[in-house]
Amino acid sequence: MAIRIRTFAAAALIGGACGVFLGAGAQAQTLRVAVPGNDMASLDPYRATATLDVNVVNWIFNGLVRIKPGQISPEMIEPDLAESWTSTPDKKEWTFKLRDNVQCQGDYGALTADDVVYSLKRASAKETSSFFADYLAFQSIEAPDAKTVKITLKEPVPSLLGLLVPYHGGNIVCRKAVEKLGNEFARTPIGTGPFQVVEYQPQQFVRLQANAKYFRGTPQIKEILFRYMASDSSRDLAFQAGEIDLVNGKFEDSWIKRMSQLPETTVDVLGPTEIHSIYLNTAQKPLDDIKVRQAIAHAVSRDALVKFRGTMLSKAADSVVPNGYLGHVAVPLPQYDPAQAKKLLAEAGYPNGLTIKSIQTTLPAMLTTMQVVQSQLKASGINLELALVDHPTFHAQIRQDLSQIVYYGAARFPVADTFLTQFFDSASSIGKPTAVTNFAHCDVADAEIKAARTEPDIEKQKALWATAQKKIVAAVCAVPMYEMGQPWAWKKKLTFAYKVVGSLGLSPPIDETTRLAN
Amino acid sequence: MAGFVLRRLGFAVVTLFAVLTLVFFVVRILPGDPAMVILGDQASAATIAALRTRLGLDLPMTTQYARFILGAIGGDWGVSMVTRRPVVQEVLNVLPYTLELTGLALVLGVALGMPAGVWAAVHRNRIPDYVTRIVSLVGLSAPAFVSGIVLLLVFAIALNWFPVISGGQATTLAGRLRELALPAVNLALIMAAYVTRVTRSAMLEVLSQDYVRTARAKGVPTRVVVWRHALRNCLIPVVTVVGLYLGILIGNSVLTEIVFNRPGLGKLIVGALAQRDYTMLQGMMVIYTLIVVLVNLATDLVYGLVDPRVTFK
Repeated sequence: MAIRIRTFAAAALIGGACGVFLGAGAQAQTLRVAVPGNDMASLDPYRATATLDVNVVNWIFNGLVRIKPGQISPEMIEPDLAESWTSTPDKKEWTFKLRDNVQCQGDYGALTADDVVYSLKRASAKETSSFFADYLAFQSIEAPDAKTVKITLKEPVPSLLGLLVPYHGGNIVCRKAVEKLGNEFARTPIGTGPFQVVEYQPQQFVRLQANAKYFRGTPQIKEILFRYMASDSSRDLAFQAGEIDLVNGKFEDSWIKRMSQLPETTVDVLGPTEIHSIYLNTAQKPLDDIKVRQAIAHAVSRDALVKFRGTMLSKAADSVVPNGYLGHVAVPLPQYDPAQAKKLLAEAGYPNGLTIKSIQTTLPAMLTTMQVVQSQLKASGINLELALVDHPTFHAQIRQDLSQIVYYGAARFPVADTFLTQFFDSASSIGKPTAVTNFAHCDVADAEIKAARTEPDIEKQKALWATAQKKIVAAVCAVPMYEMGQPWAWKKKLTFAYKVVGSLGLSPPIDETTRLAN
Repeated sequence: MAGFVLRRLGFAVVTLFAVLTLVFFVVRILPGDPAMVILGDQASAATIAALRTRLGLDLPMTTQYARFILGAIGGDWGVSMVTRRPVVQEVLNVLPYTLELTGLALVLGVALGMPAGVWAAVHRNRIPDYVTRIVSLVGLSAPAFVSGIVLLLVFAIALNWFPVISGGQATTLAGRLRELALPAVNLALIMAAYVTRVTRSAMLEVLSQDYVRTARAKGVPTRVVVWRHALRNCLIPVVTVVGLYLGILIGNSVLTEIVFNRPGLGKLIVGALAQRDYTMLQGMMVIYTLIVVLVNLATDLVYGLVDPRVTFK
């Protein structure tokens, strides 16, 4: 009996301790955000490459200019830290006048031209920036006075302003903070934006506080609690339980449907969109034969893939550059036609079909897509052998030219040049020192891509990009499949002062105008 | 006993050295590149190569190994290749969360499992025994991520008794317990299932011993026979299982940490593996090895407490 009593007593103690303290407290004016992932890697804007890091950086910094809040088109650029700018007729010298009364977060004083010069030099240095290559055309960055920044270019860069928006290297940091904080700057960065990082708990959250000195006005939301939650189910349950106000979702239609049914919830898919394509290695047999590549293109059904991924989240791609990117044009793509695919294979000398090998990540979303592609190709006599590896191994091996077909999904700065350069310029071909992600070893549009980079006339530049896209599609360097944006859900108590089409930071723009009702 | 402990600690150093050497080479043989993780997928091959040089990854493997071992002997475990934070600091940041989770799970597992095992043994081949065996089988079979989600659906969503996010933010003991309750129960379910089955099996063997029959023949009440005479004699296999399982528990805690959004060593090691963060993986392996070695040592010492016939030579 004594044992039984002790057992009950222990149970009562545990139950009591738990039961007494039930009920969560109110979280007024704290916006609670959850994203997939385990932890932050770096919030130094020039080192932040992971989506969940870029999400936070999005709310901390300003650029000299910015894209209109809620928009993603580089054609909507407006002043940010710079109130005005001029350029010489040859577009090689640019002068920016800074606005008054911009304060660095914390006690780091007023932002001056020296901070901007320091930032852009830091963004363009190999030792401190992952994005230095974007700034190779910069010859000098100077501060003639405390309110003026002068940038001299080696050659005209028509999309220069795009490099100065608060995204990657365009974020402006406060020099004193970087120098004082050292490595700590990557965890508690200091900018001039609406929110400042005040606390970081490893594997848990980053807490950001409203910047009372923000030059556009103190944000109405007082605090952002940005949580890292790796489990999709737990993230959704936390949102459902009211512990999260804004959540980054799964790339699945079922997620959108499920979240849309929750009360007081808004679900949206934000840009910039990422395009999912398979890149065909034109340097290896049998894919060096255009008939084989055309056969693959005819064997893939974009409509079936979109149906599989879900029509609320994805739509069929219509070029090798995603919709919404400056310079994108719709190009007629090879239509799904297994009979035509078989005919082309026979003409290429493979009347009985052929086998192609592909390194494939085990990430479920990517693997399932590729399994659908595998079954589609099979129907046309193409046997796609998938070598499954974990995601880091996938990234390593596709860069060692070990895969005849590479399935890749990516979103980039929304200008055609970024995609065309990284995926289709021969300088970016795998194996070269300048290699980025040209898995196809494509080189058919080098001239247009290069010419467009320095073409000052925007219409001519767009024409060059259009030609490049047509040539790449004609050469079947890639088979574009579908596009999709970033799925987010938020409680209706969170409201934006403008229409949110997307955000370069891949997270909804939270600024001085954003409201969170109690 | 001091000599025994010192000798075992000496073996621990050898074990640690072997594990470190193995881990050092295994993580580097794996395909994948920490420099690419740091720089992102838009970095050029030349940029990645430059960072590899800066991180010392282009040096001969033997040079890297010598540097690493010398640093480790001097107490320098290096900095995480991805976050640039000291490995020791990263580990210490989350170690308390793992210890409190596994510690409470262990206590709960034993507190639930031992009485259940005894109950089943005493009622052998009757309904309580069948029920206990089936429940423990379910406990062993249900993956932690499934039982975790079920616990959340019931106790956090339907009943609203506990938070979904058990992030260890609470500052009071009561708040801490509230956050810890569901993750600890989730982890304890598997532990309790193991302990139940081992206790039942050991108890059945002890209950068939002559001295138990003698005690019963003398008229000693059943509860005294079971709880005072028999239980202590079946503790050795239970202690062994608990000791062995504690190491596994810490390793298995990763799923519970992820589902309940708790920080911990499990999440740290999974992240380090995904990012090919060599230095972090090395540091983590040292911690795991140390924990397993120390738990085994503690298990051996507990044998002496539960069985006076055990001596340490």
